[in-house]
Amino acid sequence: MIKFQQVSKTYPGGQQALRKVDFHVEPGEMAFLTGHSGAGKSTLLKLISLMERPTVGQVLINGHDLNTISRRQIAYIRRDIGMIFQSHQLLMDKSVFDNVALPLIIEGYSHKETTKRVHAALEMVGLRDKAKNLPIMLSGGEQQRVGIARAVVNKPPLLLADEPTGNLDPKLSMEIIRLFEDFNQAGVSVFIATHDLGLIARMKYRTLTLKNGQMITDGLSQDF
Amino acid sequence: MSLLFKGRAQGAQLSQVSIIQRIQMFFLSHVRQALGSLGEMWRSGAASLMTIGVLGLSITLPSTLYILVKNIEQVSSGWDQASEISLFLKAETSKQHIDQLLTRINSWPEVSKVTYIPADDALNEFKALSGFGDAIAYLDKNPLPPVVLVAPSEKHAGPVAARLLLDKLRKEREVDIGKLDLEWLQRLDALLTVAKELVTIIALLLFLAVVLIIGNTIRLNILSKKDEILVMKLVGATDAFIQRPFMYTGFWYGLLGGLLAWFTVVSLLWWMSASVEAVSALYQKQFNIAGVDFSTLLIMLSTSVLLGLVGSMISVKRHVSAIEPK
Repeated sequence: MIKFQQVSKTYPGGQQALRKVDFHVEPGEMAFLTGHSGAGKSTLLKLISLMERPTVGQVLINGHDLNTISRRQIAYIRRDIGMIFQSHQLLMDKSVFDNVALPLIIEGYSHKETTKRVHAALEMVGLRDKAKNLPIMLSGGEQQRVGIARAVVNKPPLLLADEPTGNLDPKLSMEIIRLFEDFNQAGVSVFIATHDLGLIARMKYRTLTLKNGQMITDGLSQDF
Repeated sequence: MSLLFKGRAQGAQLSQVSIIQRIQMFFLSHVRQALGSLGEMWRSGAASLMTIGVLGLSITLPSTLYILVKNIEQVSSGWDQASEISLFLKAETSKQHIDQLLTRINSWPEVSKVTYIPADDALNEFKALSGFGDAIAYLDKNPLPPVVLVAPSEKHAGPVAARLLLDKLRKEREVDIGKLDLEWLQRLDALLTVAKELVTIIALLLFLAVVLIIGNTIRLNILSKKDEILVMKLVGATDAFIQRPFMYTGFWYGLLGGLLAWFTVVSLLWWMSASVEAVSALYQKQFNIAGVDFSTLLIMLSTSVLLGLVGSMISVKRHVSAIEPK
């Protein structure tokens, strides 16, 4: 699903964020990406979501080389990837419903279809009764779940999450991870970047570890 | 269609709708975005009103000047038709010859009216009007020639035809000097041409100002919605989709500014109509101001809408693509 081939990224100014990174996340797999702050996690996710381009090497999604994707095509690529951010990236002046509906409106779904799907997505994250609220009225965990509902509302085959549990206590973090597991069981590939090692330790998933831009371990979380 | 995942339909394709429904949906989303932009302007109230005011007044000035020039043209074309030829006869011409001349000229098809002013009448009139009455009394002889005023028929009243008629009249034996006072008309024409060019230049400058004002307003709109644009780009909105509401804002600014300009021009004309009537009464001339007719209104509105769209397009092209998630 996600394949990195000898990917290096050097930012203008000489800072080397990634060095010859190689890995492959299979379709339907759920994997974690971990490492200290500044290890290159964010850069790696930005290469997948096309916010950055690799300096050297290739990033492939479902066998398609992202280097061949033009600027104009980026928007369409992002519709295939559900993205979840630590800072939620919600529109604070729009209701929960409108926030979740945004990807569908952009893709031109009909009003009826949009309503149906948004309600289904909110149901999945347990926020069906909060559709009319503004995000500001929700707790941090609930806001994150709105972000997740928005990421999955158009049923993308791939979910990317950048520190989705960053601001949450362990219990809420676990709830969020359970949600990802549900989506994964439905066939969605899930790739989660987190520095919450305690969270990973409690689960048995493949974990990729970055250190100074290099991939140092790749294996089941139990192995270390 | 998805670029990465074959067989994964995106958006409208997924719900298996017909082409017609998809076109309907396309228009519906446009209408929604257009109304959304209008609502946005409504919410920002005073700021939008001020922008519309500036645009309206910027379009009012060239429109008023245009109507002014149009009216002067109309008036001068009226005068053009009424050109009159003055024939100064040789002083020694006998009364009999003058009568023969009048009869002859009267029979020409080019001539609609002939007026004879004998030398004595001309002198009396001059005495009355010039204020040289006493001085003239010292003259032992009337220095003024008899004059014949010839009004060309309607068909021959144009500048060229009138000049031909003048040449023909000059060939008459009794005529000393023939004058057709067209020169001031030509001067007026030249002045009108200058005025028209001036109006064009002023209009172009103000139109440029309108484009810049709208461009800047939209730029501020875009910057104030930077966060929203970022989020939309993150969830897969194309530049075109993000740009559309701003283009509609430009459209509305243009339309409302144009309507305001139209309203202002109509009010100005209404305000001026009383004084114009007074002037035309003094000239004993029926004279109507040509106002804003439907085609003028249409031109005004389409111009201002076009300016709004151009302004917003310039801004949108520069600034929307510059906002990228980092």
